Parts: sequence; structure tokens; C-alpha cells
Amino acid sequence: MVKIEDLKRINLLRDVPDHLLEIFAGEAQLSIFGAGTRLITVDKPVDTFYMLIMGQVAIKKELTPEIDVIFDYIQSGSSFGTSALIHESKASYSAVCQEPCEAITVSGKRMIQLFEQNHELAYYMMLGVSRQYKRKMDMRAQMIMKTLDKNPGLKDDINDIENLTLVI
Amino acid sequence: MVEKDILKKIVFLKDLPDTVLEKVGSIAQLETFDEETILFRQDQEPVLLYMLVSGKVFLNCRSTSGKSLTLDDVLPGRTFGVSALMGESSTTFTAICARKSSIITISGEQLGQLFKEDFKTGHTLMLKVVDIFRSRMHMHTQQFLHSLATHPEIR
Repeated sequence: MVKIEDLKRINLLRDVPDHLLEIFAGEAQLSIFGAGTRLITVDKPVDTFYMLIMGQVAIKKELTPEIDVIFDYIQSGSSFGTSALIHESKASYSAVCQEPCEAITVSGKRMIQLFEQNHELAYYMMLGVSRQYKRKMDMRAQMIMKTLDKNPGLKDDINDIENLTLVI
Repeated sequence: MVEKDILKKIVFLKDLPDTVLEKVGSIAQLETFDEETILFRQDQEPVLLYMLVSGKVFLNCRSTSGKSLTLDDVLPGRTFGVSALMGESSTTFTAICARKSSIITISGEQLGQLFKEDFKTGHTLMLKVVDIFRSRMHMHTQQFLHSLATHPEIR
């Protein structure tokens, strides 16, 4: 059980009405993790959704045994592990605490059960998750545009940018 | 008002039951736009969701230096302008008709209201959006990592 005030600090939950946050709060726990804790492992099922209250988490993937590519540093107010909220999802990255972290956690399995009973909660959660993905896709498209601006010759080598245009 | 047989041609809506399609149809319009019509501009507040029935639409993006690049050709059956569905503050792209196009337009606000009256449909459609975005992000990440892994300085 966590306080609704803590949930309101999470960006993804910004439009979730209070009566739904109360249900969510009853399912959530506040957890502390030490630096170096691996919360999510690439290619393994994700069973927990994390909302960071304090600390920093690196989202990364191993490129070679010597090189890790870090895609993002999750800061307080942000969330990760959205795969846990979708049936049979595996992680496409690892998530590792860069420092001691305080996070609100919920069981993905329990949330999926709740979504089947409460479509209002499910709708608001999926709306939040879709906004989060959109922001990430926009950011990537902007980074590609910036690169193409400096190196127009690369345009012919990019064949997947349409994946980021939000056409469904 | 748009008939459900036309709505069924849209990939985003195709699995919805007829009763829901009728509700969506009641808030939708079918419009024809001439070639070179600008449907919306980058950084504008999104208002409408667009579903292409026939024709072709380009999605362009302008870089900080002002150069414009076509990122995608939207073909019939596809939906774009989804920022309007998410209540976002600005659009990421500019949409221009590449030829005369027949397009279903739906107010994002009205569709959002419909979802609030029927959360099951809202959940189903937003989950579809999440699934598509998630798989595309994953695909894009894989391609990026593949490019890095095969880069001569890393190999």
C-alpha cells in the first residue's frame, strides 16, 4: 500500500482520477533497491512495473561482452517495465540501479487481472503508456533529424525511420 | 456520419464490433482533400485523428535548420495524427496530401469522450496503440544495435 500523494508524483499517472489511484495504491508497494541491483533482465519476462520516486536507473543492452549501450537514464517521476502490463511480454532491455533507488512497484500479473475487471483503470494506464512511448519515439525521430541535418548523405542508409512516425 | 463498412477498411478499427463502429461513425466525417492540402502542421495543437480511405499522404518533419524531410508515405487503411487521441500538446509531423485523398476525420476530444463512456473500447484501442508503438520501438532499437555491432570500429 502506498499513498496517493506518492502516485501523483509519477508522470504516467498524471491523468488518472483519484478513485482509480486508490485502487492502484492498494496494489502497490514502496521498495528500496541498492546501487547495482538489476531490476529487469533483457529477454526475460518482466513481472513488475516500476515507478521511480528517488534515484537513477540505467536502461541498457549489451552490445558485446565489453560494451553496454545505455539508452536512457530513468529519473524520479518516470516509470519503466511497461512490458509487465502487457500479456506475455519479455524485456527488450536491462534496467540497473545506478545509485540507491526508491520505487513504487506493482505486480504486472495483478495489474492485468485488474484491467480485465476495471476497464476504466486499464484505459487510463494504456493512455499513459502510449504517451510515454510516443515521447520516446518523437525523441528518436528528432535525434535522427538532427543527424541527417549534419550528414544529409546518410538519408539513403536509413530505412526504418517510418517506424517512428506514429502511423497505425 | 460515416458508414461502418467504410470504417471497417481502417486497420485500427477493423476488429471492433458493429455497435462500437456505429458510435465511432456517428462522430466521424468523410472528407475529400485536394493534392497538396496541408492537413496539419508540425508543432501545432492536434485536433483531429485522420484515417486514409483512398489517396496518399506524406508525413514530413522539419529539422532545426529548417530542412524538410519526408519520413513516411501513408497508404489507405492507415491512421495518423494519433497525438489528438492522446491529448498531447503538439504534433510531431506535418501531413500533406500527396494526391487527392478521401479521409475520415474524427475529433480527438470526441473520441476521447466516447472512450470515457465505453472504457472497454477505449482500453482495447489504446492497448492496440501501445502494442504497435512497443514493437516499433523494439524493432528500431534492434536495427540501431545491429548497425552499431557491425560498425568497423566496434567489430
